[in-house]
Amino acid sequence: MNDRTSPRRHLLIAGAVWAVLSIVGILVVLGLQILPVIASREAVIMEHALIVLTVVSVPVLMFVVVGLAYPAIRFRAGPGDQDGPPIHGHQRLEVFWVLGTFAMVVGLFVYGSVGLLDIRGDQQAFLEVEAHAKQWEWDFEYFGAKEFHSPELVLPVGQRIHILIESKDVVHSFSVPAFGVKQDAVPGRLTQIYVTPTIVGTYGVQCAELCGLGHTRMQASVTVMEPSDFADWLAQMQAGSGG
Amino acid sequence: MSVSRLPALRFFGPGLRRGVLGGIIGAAVGPLPVILLTTAGDDVNSAHVLALGYVGVLIGWFAGLGAFGPWLRWAAGREADHAAAVAAHGHAGDWRRYFRFTTDHKVIGTQYMLAFLALFLVAGSLAMVMRLELAQPGQLFGTDTYNTIMSTHGTLMIFVALNTIVGGLGNYFVPLMIGARDMAFPRVNALSFWFIPPALLLILLNPVFGGFDSGWTGYPPLSRQANLGEQAYLLTFITMGISSIVSAVNFLVTVARMRTTGMSWMRLPIFVWSLTVTTAIALVATSVVASALTMSLFDRILGTDFFRPTSGGDPVLYQHLFWFYSHPAVYIMAVPAFGAVLEVVPVFARKPLFAYRLAVLSFIAIGLLSFMVWAHHMFVSGMAEFFHIPIMATTELISVPTGIVFFSAIGTIWLGRLRFATPMLWVFGFVWSFLIGGITGVYLADVPTDIALTDTYFVVAHFHYTIVGGMIFGMFAGLTYWFPKFTGRMMSERLGKLHFWWFTLAFNAAFLPMFWLGFQGMRRRVADYPAELANVNLWASIAAWMIGLSMFVFIFNFIRSWARGPKAGPNPWGARTLEWQIASPPPVENFDDLPVVTAGPYEYGGRPVMPSPAIDPSGASS
Repeated sequence: MNDRTSPRRHLLIAGAVWAVLSIVGILVVLGLQILPVIASREAVIMEHALIVLTVVSVPVLMFVVVGLAYPAIRFRAGPGDQDGPPIHGHQRLEVFWVLGTFAMVVGLFVYGSVGLLDIRGDQQAFLEVEAHAKQWEWDFEYFGAKEFHSPELVLPVGQRIHILIESKDVVHSFSVPAFGVKQDAVPGRLTQIYVTPTIVGTYGVQCAELCGLGHTRMQASVTVMEPSDFADWLAQMQAGSGG
Repeated sequence: MSVSRLPALRFFGPGLRRGVLGGIIGAAVGPLPVILLTTAGDDVNSAHVLALGYVGVLIGWFAGLGAFGPWLRWAAGREADHAAAVAAHGHAGDWRRYFRFTTDHKVIGTQYMLAFLALFLVAGSLAMVMRLELAQPGQLFGTDTYNTIMSTHGTLMIFVALNTIVGGLGNYFVPLMIGARDMAFPRVNALSFWFIPPALLLILLNPVFGGFDSGWTGYPPLSRQANLGEQAYLLTFITMGISSIVSAVNFLVTVARMRTTGMSWMRLPIFVWSLTVTTAIALVATSVVASALTMSLFDRILGTDFFRPTSGGDPVLYQHLFWFYSHPAVYIMAVPAFGAVLEVVPVFARKPLFAYRLAVLSFIAIGLLSFMVWAHHMFVSGMAEFFHIPIMATTELISVPTGIVFFSAIGTIWLGRLRFATPMLWVFGFVWSFLIGGITGVYLADVPTDIALTDTYFVVAHFHYTIVGGMIFGMFAGLTYWFPKFTGRMMSERLGKLHFWWFTLAFNAAFLPMFWLGFQGMRRRVADYPAELANVNLWASIAAWMIGLSMFVFIFNFIRSWARGPKAGPNPWGARTLEWQIASPPPVENFDDLPVVTAGPYEYGGRPVMPSPAIDPSGASS
C-alpha cells in the first residue's frame, strides 16, 4: 500500500459511501412488503415494529460492510510492505462507540416495551373462546347460551377476542401467522391471548411447538366473518349441538 | 512396565482395546441388578437396563483405559508412580499415544479436534438428509424418521459447537500461549476427553432404541412419552455436561496458575481470555442443565413427577432450567470464536489488536449478561407476563459488548496492511455472518416481533447465522491459522480459498432465504410445508448440499496438507504470540526453558514483516 491518502480522507470517503448505502438501503426496505398477510390489529403493530427494526438495522449493516470492504480494497499489503501503524486503541472513539450502541439499545428497548403493551392492549373482550390442543388436533369451544365445540375457529371481524389456550398432553403452540400471534399451550396451566381480527377471510392455525409425530399436520383454519354472518353461524352451531 | 508378559494380556494392556473390552463387560454387568430383581414372568424394564448398562459401560471403559489407576494408588496412600506418569504423557513420534489415556494437552487437543470434526461431518450429513425431505412438499420419510434425524442433527451440532474450539484448539494452544508445559490437571484433562466416545456412541445408536423426536431441547412432557432413544439423548447430554464441567475447572486453574513469568492478565492473548470467560460460563451454567436433564431422566425411569403437570410438576420449569444453561451455551460457542477471530486479525492486518482492554471487558460483560437473558426463548411459553420486559432489556443490552467485537475487528483492519491468507478470509466471513445473526437476533429480542417470528424458519436462519456464522467460521479461521503449528506443515492456500468461497456462498444461499420462509410463517421442525413455498425450499436444499460438497475440499486439503504439505517452520505468519516462537509441531515438553514475557502479544508496527514464503501479499499464492 503506497498511496498517500491521509487517514482523515479515508474516513471521509468511507463515511460518504456508508451514508449513501444506508439511504439506498432504507429506501429499499420501505418499499418492501415483508409480511404476506396482515389481518389483525396485533399484526399491524408487529409489522410496524418489523419495519422500524429493519430501518434501524440498515445503517448498522452498512457500517460493518463498509468497515470490511473499504479496508479489503484500500488497505491491502503490497510486496515488501512494513507493518501497519502501532495503533492500540482510541479512547474517545471507544467511549463514543459504547455510549452510542448503548443509546441505540435503550431506544430499541423503549420502543419494544411500548409495542408490547400495545399488543397486549385491553384485557377485555367481546368474545371468549377456548382452544384445546391435543396430539394432534385443535378443538375450539364456544360458551354463551349453549356451549359447543368446533374443529375450526370462527371469529367476527373488528371485535376483540379473548382466546384461552390449554393442552391435554404435551406442549403445543397456538399460532396464526396472519394475526401475528402465538402462544404456547401448556398442560396444567391456562394461557391466553387477545386478538382483534381486521380483515374478513380464512387463515391458517398451526401448532408451532414440536409436539411429536403429528406436529407437521397439526393445523386448523380460522375464518373471520362479518358480525352478522358470525351471529348466524353461532346460532346455527348452538342449535346443532346436542339440540 | 507392570504389564504382564503373557501375550494376551499385553494385547489387552491399558488402552483403547482394554477400554472397549471393559465397556462391553460393563454393559453386561451393569443391568444385572435390575434383571435379577425382576420377578420371573414380568418384562424387564428396558429403560432401567439402558441406564444401568450405560453406567456400567462408563465404569468399564475408564477402568480399561487405565484412568483410575493413579487415583486409586493415591487414595490407597501408595507413592505416585513417576515412571507411569511420564509414560502417560507419551513420547514424541509415537502414534499410539493418540489412542490412549494420554495426558499431553497437545494430544488431547488433537483428539478433541479430530473427534469433533468427524462428528461435524456426521451431523452435517444428517442435515443433507433433512434437506432431501424438505426439497419438495409432501413426505419422503415418515415423520418419526424425520424427527429423529432432525433431533440428532441438532444435538450433535450443539456438541460440535461447544467442543471443537474449546476442547480442540483450546487444549492445544492455551498452555502454549501462556507459556506452560501442560494444563494444570493433565489427567483430568484426559478424563474430560474420554467421557466423549461412549457418550457419542450412545447417541449415534439412538435409532436402535427407536429414535427420539423431541428435538435437541427435549421439552417434557413430550420427552417423557418419547421412545427409549430419548434416554440415549438424555444420558449422552448429561455425560457431555460432566465432561464440560471437568474441563472448565481445568482451564480456569490453568489460566489462573500456570502463566509464565511476565504473562500478566493484560498480556494474555485474546484467545486465552475468550476461553477463560467461556469456561467460567460453562462451569456455572452446565450443572443447571445437567440437573434439568437428570430430573427429566428420573421422570422417565423412576416415575418422579418434576415436570408432570397432572401430579404437580411443571413443564415450564424445565424450559427455565434448560435455557438458563442453553442460552449461556450460545456464548460458550460464540466467545471462543470471537477469541480465535480477534487472535487472527492483528497477524494478518499487521497492526496491534484495536481496543484490547475493551474487548476483554466485553467478553467479561458477555459472560455476566449471558446469565440474565435465557427467558427470551420463552416469550410465548406462558411464563409470567411481567418477565417479558426485563428480559427484553437484558437481551438487547448484550448487543453492546457483542458489538465491541465488531468494533475491535474493524478498528484493527482499518489502516492495516492486510494479507488475505485463508484464515483472514474466514475472519471476514465470520464478521459478515455473525453480523446477520446479531441483527436478526434483535428481532427475536423485541417481544412484538418475536411473538410472530419465534418457532418459524426465521429462528432457524438466525441461529445458523450465529452458530455456523459465529462458531464454525471462527473454527475455520482458527484451524487454518494454527494448522502449520499443530502439523508442522502449510495448508494449500489455493484449496483453502476454494473451500472458503464455496462454503461461504453456499451457506448464505441456503440460509438467507430461510428468513423469508419465516416471514411466510413456515414453522420449524416440520417435515412438510405449503406448496407455495416449494421453490425457495428447493433452492435452500440445493444450496445446503453445496455446503456439504464444499467440505470434501476441506477434508482433502486437511489430510493431504498434513501428510505432504510444505514444511511450515516455526512462525510462517510472522505472529508474535508465544506458541509461534517454538518449533512446529511443538516438542512434547513445549518449552526447553519457560519463556519470560516482556511485552504484549500484539506489538506490531513499523518493523519489517518477518520474511515468509507462506504469505503472498498479493493473495494469489497457491
